Amino acid sequence: MTDAELPSNPLMEGLETERRAPPCILVVFGASGDLTSRKLMPALARLADNRQLPAAFAVVGVARTELSDDDFRQRMLQAVEKPSAAWENLVSGFRYVAGDYGNPETFQQLKRVLDEVDQERGTGGNRVYYLATIPSVFAEVADALANAGLNRPKDEASFVRIVVEKPYGRDLTSALELDAGMHQAFSESQIYRIDHYLGKETVQNVLALRFANAIYEPIWNRRYVDSVQITVAESLGVGHRGGFYETAGALRDIVQNHVLQVLALTVMEPPATIDAKGIRDEKVKALRAVDLLSTDEVATEVVRAQYDAGWVEGEPVVGYREEEGVDPNSQTETYVAMRLRVDNWRWAGVPFYIRTGKRLPKRYTEVAMRFHDVPHLPFGPKEARGLGPNALVLRIQPDEGITLRFGAKVPGQAFRVRSVSMDFSYGAAFLEETPEAYERLLLDAMIGDPTLFIRTDEVEQAWRIVDPILTAFAEGTPPLARYQAGAWGPREADLLLERDGRTWRTP
Amino acid sequence: MADAVTAGAPFTVLGSWRGESVKMGDVLDAMEGLRRGEQRTATRTSVLSLVIVASDAADARRAAEAVRGLGGRHPARCVLVVTEDSGSEAEPRLCDAEVELVSAQVDGRIVWWEEVTLTVTGAIAQHLDSLIEPLTLPDLPVVVWCAGVMPAPSDPLLRSADTVLVDSKQVGDVDAFPAIVELSRRHTVVDLSWARLEPWRELLAGLFEGRHFRPFVAGVHHVSVAGKEGPRHLLAGWLASRLKLSRNVFHLEDARHVSLLLRASGPGGEPNAEFAVERREGERIVRAWASVEGGPSHRDVLPLPDDSLPWSLADALTHLVYDRTYQQALGGALTFVVPPAPDK
Repeated sequence: MTDAELPSNPLMEGLETERRAPPCILVVFGASGDLTSRKLMPALARLADNRQLPAAFAVVGVARTELSDDDFRQRMLQAVEKPSAAWENLVSGFRYVAGDYGNPETFQQLKRVLDEVDQERGTGGNRVYYLATIPSVFAEVADALANAGLNRPKDEASFVRIVVEKPYGRDLTSALELDAGMHQAFSESQIYRIDHYLGKETVQNVLALRFANAIYEPIWNRRYVDSVQITVAESLGVGHRGGFYETAGALRDIVQNHVLQVLALTVMEPPATIDAKGIRDEKVKALRAVDLLSTDEVATEVVRAQYDAGWVEGEPVVGYREEEGVDPNSQTETYVAMRLRVDNWRWAGVPFYIRTGKRLPKRYTEVAMRFHDVPHLPFGPKEARGLGPNALVLRIQPDEGITLRFGAKVPGQAFRVRSVSMDFSYGAAFLEETPEAYERLLLDAMIGDPTLFIRTDEVEQAWRIVDPILTAFAEGTPPLARYQAGAWGPREADLLLERDGRTWRTP
Repeated sequence: MADAVTAGAPFTVLGSWRGESVKMGDVLDAMEGLRRGEQRTATRTSVLSLVIVASDAADARRAAEAVRGLGGRHPARCVLVVTEDSGSEAEPRLCDAEVELVSAQVDGRIVWWEEVTLTVTGAIAQHLDSLIEPLTLPDLPVVVWCAGVMPAPSDPLLRSADTVLVDSKQVGDVDAFPAIVELSRRHTVVDLSWARLEPWRELLAGLFEGRHFRPFVAGVHHVSVAGKEGPRHLLAGWLASRLKLSRNVFHLEDARHVSLLLRASGPGGEPNAEFAVERREGERIVRAWASVEGGPSHRDVLPLPDDSLPWSLADALTHLVYDRTYQQALGGALTFVVPPAPDK
């Protein structure tokens, strides 16, 4: 009996597990690595606890490290802080394949294990490969899977997908090369490029806020919006990732993916349908409308900086150049601020100020829209002393929610107006615990919903925006500024806004 | 399943007010006064008004504890009405009230809500709708839970309800089924007993999800359902309605904990298979297993919360919509209820 001939399961009707993975095997490459233990396994454990994994499900880990099935199971069990009975039960069926990705025998052994698991668990030949490896082996693994005949579904009813972690290339050229390599083994519809930011509930809520409410969209344009600030702040330094960070920098690590994805969701036109094609088509159009900066413009519109020693969250911290694995003369930026233009009918003339950095005062991500002042203020300066411009702030992390700032009369005999904030917190309004980003995205990949994954043309458009800036950085433009750890960035970033008569928000 | 809300977060009473023989205007003023005097209640996000009606102090206490056991994840105005006597027109009409502002920290956020307890005597008990209407939050769904008593479909209190919560186990088990069917004709009814059975249903349904086991779902020829009166009937009704099985393949028996056993044969002469979900004595987990004769097998487990009432209440409040599967299960359950023998 093929999958297509299987009867439906009437017992599932009415149960709240409507988003439930189909029978499949999750094959994790880089299974002994940090990402697998820190993110993937806790996400899987939550899916197991929430009954979103089917009985016919298994994990096969692949990595160079020599481990037995039992060793791997033990590690994965320990990867979850308080393992539930459901997680223990699931892990007891995990398998492991040790081997070099360059050795074809590794993939022959993987094939044998996958066939065994299919027989034991009834997973029907369905596979989701997860590349939790270093980026340099993405194409190699994809190629080896193809050579072993593991890249195509065995029949029309089954599926084979591959999830690729960021970074997807180092620049436009390398991203296109990687894409070409991946496409030799997998079709575009099989490739799920992950950006965990899109898995965050509040990033998705940008879509809900904009397109499920009649009151926001009419003012979501140049006529009402004065400027937009997008902040992605991290209080952490590079930790043990100094070696990696030296090759990346804030522009590649955060702006090319997370920031531009948030920007795209903020500026995109309403899609006809909230499905993968509808949303991704509009995001690509939005990214295409972002003006490319010339080298001269990078000098004036972009600030890059690196942190020195300072204090963050009550702790003394070393400067970037003193971090483990970092060149003492490093020119890698840990902070980027820039002014972008989105040249289309909706946003022409509205500056988009973007900043991201490490060792900033706190971990915080927001999109803040500042609205124009009223055309005429019928109060004197004294009465309106405490009144600022209206602002709508979408808080993405850590305290997910929405803040609307508007003017209100101060109680009393005098007519004084000042700004007040109306605050909405997602966590206080919804009963359900929101899924973690990896939990959501893993389930989407298993279900086959690519909406929150990055399509190849999105990657290309994002690199198109970032590439000229990278080129300028390589030429030393603009000069690397410095900021003290624990500050909101260098003075140069403040000047970027001050010359427009604006200031950065203090989150 | 609402497993995320089972752990009740510690709560704090921020302020309280008490009055005797009050009017609802007094209660509203008291709520406003408490909020104004407490900085921690500067922001409020509510999702519903929850009205609980209890006919005695024990039911009221149990319901109130369940609400707090939600752990503050339910930003709702909660109105608990205790009707202390028969509520005859002849008795003096009295309404005593207590208002508390309660807060809890959930995932690092302070959430606060209002709890109003009204103790009514006399004829007011027949006109609870007039007490409740002023206290419900505008524009938000009103959920009425009659704790320990089965409300009549024509009860005026239900006019303001978007959803009626019942607990069939509390209000008479199988004896209450016909009344729930009747109530469902006019209101959206959510049964806490049904919510409590979700782990069993999920596990059993999940056993048929693998390709090895799915073919057997169409070949079930024997069903054993053990459990207390009520839950075992609901599960039997669910299986009968979903799998379109006749009553004669069922075997129901009384037991302390729920267990299910299905025997099935595969199509085309495939071997027999067994599917079971059970909770063993002394355990707070539900176990499930599937086994094909001479073929593959699978095991699964699901932990149960320590206290099922807050958990089932949370689950019920998450799904305040008409549940066709429940209604069909209820209809099926009625066919398993043997009518009592006539008195000789």
